[in-house]
Amino acid sequence: MKIAVAGKGGVGKTTIAGTLARTLARRGNEVLAFDADVNPMLGVSLGVGSERTEQLVAVRQALDEGEAEHQPTVEGMEQAFGAAGPDGVWLLVCSRIDRADPG
Amino acid sequence: MRVAIAGKGGAGKSVVTGTLARVLGRRGERVLALDSDLLPGLTLSLGADAPERPPLLDAAERGEDDRWRLKKGIGPVRAVQRFSTPAPDGVRVLQAGKAPPEGTQAIMPALQAYYKVIHRLARTPAFGEWALIADLPAGARQLAYDWAPFADTVLVVVEPTSQSLLTARRIMRVAGARPGVTVAAIANKVKVPADRERIETFLGELVAASLPADPAVAAAERIGAAVIDYAPRSPVLAAIERLADELAEDGPSQRSRLTR
Repeated sequence: MKIAVAGKGGVGKTTIAGTLARTLARRGNEVLAFDADVNPMLGVSLGVGSERTEQLVAVRQALDEGEAEHQPTVEGMEQAFGAAGPDGVWLLVCSRIDRADPG
Repeated sequence: MRVAIAGKGGAGKSVVTGTLARVLGRRGERVLALDSDLLPGLTLSLGADAPERPPLLDAAERGEDDRWRLKKGIGPVRAVQRFSTPAPDGVRVLQAGKAPPEGTQAIMPALQAYYKVIHRLARTPAFGEWALIADLPAGARQLAYDWAPFADTVLVVVEPTSQSLLTARRIMRVAGARPGVTVAAIANKVKVPADRERIETFLGELVAASLPADPAVAAAERIGAAVIDYAPRSPVLAAIERLADELAEDGPSQRSRLTR
């Protein structure tokens, strides 16, 4: 099962994605929740909390700053960049814009 | 007045931008509403017709280096004269372009032309007396990539939810990195005084304006009408008129009244 959730801002994309991920995980599925928004908020909907969501490693920035190596496999991505959320969901944040001129 | 309006998706950016532009237009100001969102929104909030194709497609040509540039003879003044479209109350709208179903590549010439025009607007004396009011897409991306170079004020629309607050804080950091720009928060969808307090506590500063949760906005958006036309006596319109007062008194040279 590979699902992308899209829509206009504010309609509830993140809420649906986060709740769906938790629901599937509770049913025993292995779930990778991938936040591809450059304004990443999926952590909030998954229930990891606002402040921890702000502190999650973002793949793009970790690579840019030389803190991490490229990972050719999904498993490698999960290990290098992922964070464990409630119900065993793995959360992976793609990128976060929080400064001017990100290059 | 040179204002860019930012915020999380659904926070009410387009409603604030469109209504503010109309209010200023009614007061006799010359208003250019700038729309750099690739998704629709602003023309609805303005009560204007949306162009069928991006008008600025006709403003661009390929240069010798194969990049898109403004056609010879087209500067910011002519671009606005020829390629902006009308909205009620005398407002003009300049649109970067809306993404067609086949993707953004088809409108790349218009996006490039828009980017070049907005980078020259602030330095064009003919626009000295104009009010420039820009509706930015959701998030901090366009501010980070310098899509509002003309703005001396960035208003961040924020509602009292965790996601909106986190987004607003990110945007305010990015917008505040540009020297000389006043960055202020606009509280939206405020139901009780505690909502406003929550926003001010989280962001660590006072909000410049507080817009009430107003069913007139949802009702207007349901039928695709501008709030200013649909509900001329609504509380949210009264609040945006007060915001327009504040902005009008906020001279560029003095310390901003918005963040005092």
